[in-house]
Amino acid sequence: MLLVVVTGVAAQRPESQVVATWGGDEVYQVLPLGAIPAIDEPEFVAGEAADAQMKLGEPVLGVVVGDTARAYSLWQLDHHELVNDEIGGTAIAATW
Amino acid sequence: MVYARTLGANTYTFQVSGKLWRNSFIMEDRETSTSWSHVTGRALDGPGRGARLRAMPSVQTTWAEWKETHPKTDVLKKSEEVLSSRYEKYFSDPDRMGLFRAQWLTEKMPGKTLIWGAAFGTHAIAVTDDALDKGGEVRAELGGTPVEIERGPDGGVRAFTGEEREEIPVTRAFWFAWSSFYPNTQVVDQ
Repeated sequence: MLLVVVTGVAAQRPESQVVATWGGDEVYQVLPLGAIPAIDEPEFVAGEAADAQMKLGEPVLGVVVGDTARAYSLWQLDHHELVNDEIGGTAIAATW
Repeated sequence: MVYARTLGANTYTFQVSGKLWRNSFIMEDRETSTSWSHVTGRALDGPGRGARLRAMPSVQTTWAEWKETHPKTDVLKKSEEVLSSRYEKYFSDPDRMGLFRAQWLTEKMPGKTLIWGAAFGTHAIAVTDDALDKGGEVRAELGGTPVEIERGPDGGVRAFTGEEREEIPVTRAFWFAWSSFYPNTQVVDQ
């Protein structure tokens, strides 16, 4: 779900440094490592608690692994971009 | 995008590196400090360079549609109230794009057009909502392999390839960003 969210920050920071070139294309250091905090120990809610925190039209990233369906609010992921998660024994990274 | 974090004997924990490459962010794992593209799952720099994470199918839809079709779903708990996107202005401004070749291929369509993109092998396809909603699905052929892209009952868009209808990951992306990764992408926009 490439969303280039950092690009929104980058566009406001024209002083961003080119720190490397990969595959002929520039790499910009826009923010320090970890400045946008990934979620390493995600917690989940379901049922009424889930409805209480979500709007009906809120965009989500949804994934199904085995019997487990899991959703991540994209509004929330705006602030984190990455969730280091585990579903049914499978370690996954949800990225936005 | 959703990736398996385990590759061989290693399970990685990713951080947001703060680096941008081809208009998208770079992940850095804590274990080896390798840099990974979150668009392709490819390790671009560091000890793991050349490795590739396995992408897993996922969908982007609304909470209402997702819970309708997956009533037992759980959802990432919010530790604080988040009621909208912090990037709304960025999303809606047609002129604000990335740092990198923002004009790339924008003669094909405006850079801030949201597309559904799928890639396999050396091939890629980008489909607009207009094209998808017109016929309910898009059928195409990439390098001799049939591809079907369709919107499912949960509102999410999925892609399937070949006779076996193998599901391949679909990404929601701005055209300017997708095309900087996949400049030769086949476009279906009507």
